[in-house]
Amino acid sequence: MAKYILKRVLMAVITLFIVICLTFFLMNAIPGSPWLSEKTPPQATIDALNEKYGLDQPVIVQLGKYLANIVHGDFGTSIKMQKDRPVLDIITTMFPVSAAIGIIAILWAILVGVPLGCLAAYKRGTWVDSLLRVICTIGISMPGFVVATILLYLLAGGIDGFKIFPTIFDGSLKSYVLPCLALGFYPMCYLSRQTRTAMLDSINQEYIKTARAKGLKNKKIIFKHALRNALIPVITYLGPQVAFTLCGGFVVETVFSIPGLGRYFVQSIQNRDYPIIMGTTIFLAAFIIIMNLVVDLLYKLVDPRINLSKGGN
Amino acid sequence: MEEKQKSGKLLEVKDLHVSFFTPAGEVKAVGGISYDLNYDEVMGIVGESGSGKSVEAYSIIGLLQSPGKVVGGSITLEGEDVLAKSKEEMIDLRGNKVAMIFQNPMTCLNPVYTIGNQLIEALKAHDKKVSKEEAAKRAMEMLELVGINNVEKRMKQYPHELSGGMRQRVMIAMGLICHPQLLIADEPTTALDVTIQAQILELMKDLQKKTHMGIIFITHNLGVVAEICDKVSVMYAGKMVEQGPVDDIFYKPGHPYTMGLLRSMPRVDAESYERLIPIEGTPVDMLNPPEGCPFAPRCEYAMKICLQKMPPYVELGENHRAACWLRVQEQMAKEKSGQADAKAGSQTENKEAGDHE
Amino acid sequence: MAEKRKKVLGSLQPDVEDILEWNNLPDNAFEPASAQEKESFIQDRKSVSYWKDAWRRLRRNRVAMVAMVIVILIGLFAFVGPLLVPYGYDEQIRGANNLHPWHYSLEDQARIDAYMEEHNNTANLTPDEAVEQAKAEAAAKGEELSRIEEAKIRANAKASQGSGEGEVTEAAAIEALGIKAKPFGYSDDELQRMENGESVFPHVFGCDTHGRDIMVRTMIGARVSMIVGICCAIIVLIIGAIYGSISGYFGGKVDAVMQRIVEVIYTIPEVLIILLLGTTLKPVFEQFQNSGNGPLQQLVTTLGPNLISIFIAFGLLYWVTMSRIIRGQILQLKQQEYVTAARALGAKGGRIIKRHLLPNCVGQIVTTTFLQIPSAIFTESFLSFLGMGVSAPMTSLGSMCSDALSGLTSYPYRLFIPAAILSVMILCLNLFGDGLRDALDPRLKK
Repeated sequence: MAKYILKRVLMAVITLFIVICLTFFLMNAIPGSPWLSEKTPPQATIDALNEKYGLDQPVIVQLGKYLANIVHGDFGTSIKMQKDRPVLDIITTMFPVSAAIGIIAILWAILVGVPLGCLAAYKRGTWVDSLLRVICTIGISMPGFVVATILLYLLAGGIDGFKIFPTIFDGSLKSYVLPCLALGFYPMCYLSRQTRTAMLDSINQEYIKTARAKGLKNKKIIFKHALRNALIPVITYLGPQVAFTLCGGFVVETVFSIPGLGRYFVQSIQNRDYPIIMGTTIFLAAFIIIMNLVVDLLYKLVDPRINLSKGGN
Repeated sequence: MEEKQKSGKLLEVKDLHVSFFTPAGEVKAVGGISYDLNYDEVMGIVGESGSGKSVEAYSIIGLLQSPGKVVGGSITLEGEDVLAKSKEEMIDLRGNKVAMIFQNPMTCLNPVYTIGNQLIEALKAHDKKVSKEEAAKRAMEMLELVGINNVEKRMKQYPHELSGGMRQRVMIAMGLICHPQLLIADEPTTALDVTIQAQILELMKDLQKKTHMGIIFITHNLGVVAEICDKVSVMYAGKMVEQGPVDDIFYKPGHPYTMGLLRSMPRVDAESYERLIPIEGTPVDMLNPPEGCPFAPRCEYAMKICLQKMPPYVELGENHRAACWLRVQEQMAKEKSGQADAKAGSQTENKEAGDHE
Repeated sequence: MAEKRKKVLGSLQPDVEDILEWNNLPDNAFEPASAQEKESFIQDRKSVSYWKDAWRRLRRNRVAMVAMVIVILIGLFAFVGPLLVPYGYDEQIRGANNLHPWHYSLEDQARIDAYMEEHNNTANLTPDEAVEQAKAEAAAKGEELSRIEEAKIRANAKASQGSGEGEVTEAAAIEALGIKAKPFGYSDDELQRMENGESVFPHVFGCDTHGRDIMVRTMIGARVSMIVGICCAIIVLIIGAIYGSISGYFGGKVDAVMQRIVEVIYTIPEVLIILLLGTTLKPVFEQFQNSGNGPLQQLVTTLGPNLISIFIAFGLLYWVTMSRIIRGQILQLKQQEYVTAARALGAKGGRIIKRHLLPNCVGQIVTTTFLQIPSAIFTESFLSFLGMGVSAPMTSLGSMCSDALSGLTSYPYRLFIPAAILSVMILCLNLFGDGLRDALDPRLKK
């Protein structure tokens, strides 16, 4: 077990390192200096700025410094959007908002998607199954911004005299509903589809035959024997879904004007505020990598077949 | 264990037809088979893969999956019509009166639950009142009965922690935990090592003697049949081609397919240079079954009539019959030469056929 | 007879009727059958080729067929459509700004204007005009407007103009007059021309703020999406197939190293990297674009820097799944006897991959490649919506949706038309891909 965890953690660290380097070198590949905007500042100013931010040193030295700083939690400071505000400070104030919406979205996606998938598998071949399949296929075919804008239009004032939820996020309970709904819709449909497939897969296994031969009731066969086995692969889909939801947050936060990290990230890209772009990318990447790691370990824990002392796989 | 010994008919299958309705057409997996099974009797069903032996067994226990369907005939278990039972009644029947064990013990136990959990569950499905402790006690008794030691520990183990033979023992224990009248064993030894096979067979023989239940033993291995069965049904392409007491089948086979099976089986008592002779060719397409005898294209004695008409059953001895035109021909010859005693005639005739080989 | 027969079969007694029938058998019944007769006895099913069989299965899948037809229709819409419409995607038609996909005849418009003029004379004023008017009124009274008052008037005028919340809105006027809108949008100028007998191509979906025909833009957007999808799928296919087959075929250390790389790439969050690539490569390409006028620069200009970064990102990251599938297939197939046989016959590695391994996993490869198309379209639209997609004036469905977001309440169709086409396109591609998988991989069938 320890060896397996160690291996996975090492893998995660390597991945993160690669992401950081990639981010850093890409940023360095950008021609021109970040100080050039509408009006070009005098050369002396540019030099001073370069020196201040260490941009006059060789790239490798810069990378080493950057890595060292990251380890100390220093992601640099914003150069345009909120001048001289530390990036980490921005992240720590903005991320909780995004995280709250993301967690609610993923939660409702799991709590609704998995049971719906079971229902579809249980009622396979009936109209319930067909209906759910249509809904879920549509769901995974609609980009997040389409879902978000449709919800915005339908439930937040697009139709005259019909406005249940606020258009703009104001932190109230009501204003959470639409963003979470929009953000969780895709994962819900995806999980539901995967659960259905996994359930059907599980139902076709031999041990279900054994359970039937034992004379167990249908419900018990489905919910005790098939479901437990079906949930194991479904867990593996959770990791990528967390990442997906996080990135879906960019769109949803933009549509609903939520002051979260996602929207801020998009704005920083549009404004070319490089330290923020770098910091946020690395932070989000680290978050996704850690979530994947957790889900991975969780998966190994749930499945008794996997003997962790042997190192997995 | 108090076992009330019963005698007489336990199971009666009459002219059973089972079809699979696939997109490509109706596959007649079982085309009219009949047999009886008494209490305390072991019947083997022999045939190659796809001959319909498992399908036939599944219809007895009501495990036939869509698109499979019983389309004709009857199954009577202890005087009750099984096919007329409702879904709930069938659920109650399974595991309780009829138990089934399967070919592959590796995949037949649920990997995410402990052995104990799965055993107790089987018991509780039919005995709601039994307490947890009582159920656990009986499960452990059962495990001991099937020859598993260290039962307390085994109860808490997961299937993957057990060897194949051990798992098959657990499967048997699970099948027998409700003391069924009938046990259907679908190739229970095929997936095991030869030494383990022998152990499991020994165990089943042993348990059968103790419990006096009827067993339907499905296999493609005639050696296993000789070991454990009282009588044998030989199936080919969904049809029963020969049926009879185990000795008759082995020493006086009436159907060329049975003869072929016997010749293709290695024998310990064979003369050292005797060769195994395989049956040439492949089974017929079940989607498009021919009019005549399905074995005809592979039969070395095939006659014109074989290709046109399915042969009727001919009585060859007590409870021994075969469906083959060769036997019909002999019977007719017998009749013509005025020998009235059909029984004796068929037996001598049979010897002649043996010489003919 | 049939009934009797059943009864008899139940027991182990011989069939009396059948025995009686024996006398009626043909004379030659017991002659040995010839080998030929035996041969013809087995009625084998016709063996069907893999592709024919797959096509048969696919054709039977009604959902997939409908999806295919819709995809073809959208394809025609995207590729043939722009040739039929006489407007360019970046052509700004004068007087057609903010045109609705419906219109009122010139007389009706005159009536509406008159009605509104009658009921509300400030509604149509621009903020400046309103201020001027108010100033004039104030001057007439001998007063002067304070700046605050001026701002108020300006804001009022702006609000009533922008959202149509004047005392009498155009909508109210139309309702009061009972005028019915006619389908398709025409600008006043065009209506005039039609009056004069000219035939004018309608703006079926209306026009946007800059007076560009929305239908043409949707067509071009759909075309961009499709091209992106197909190109990305091909990139993924090529890289994934090569990487996967090398890794799977050679196995051992090569495989181990290659799989570690795959694992690392697998855990990299792709969307973040695409966004990053988009931001950083854009200036690089822009610089390159401006550096000269060679064919490469031309290519960059036509594709746009963002599209290139999407392709690069796909080439870097998205082939992982494909390579895994192919590697798995190859590992599985490697165990098969015919590969061993080919090897025993002295076939070289490349030949084995080409002749024996690839044809056997072609079904899965086709399916995975095909399903990559909707997934790429999905990603592209996401990026375009965030403003990271194709660069203006080129358009894509995602950026059209993004542009339409600000005017959602007044012009919802500007968002819903491209959104609907995008969703339907992805949906149908997904459905057809699913059908393709079912048809090409018979092992998945029950």
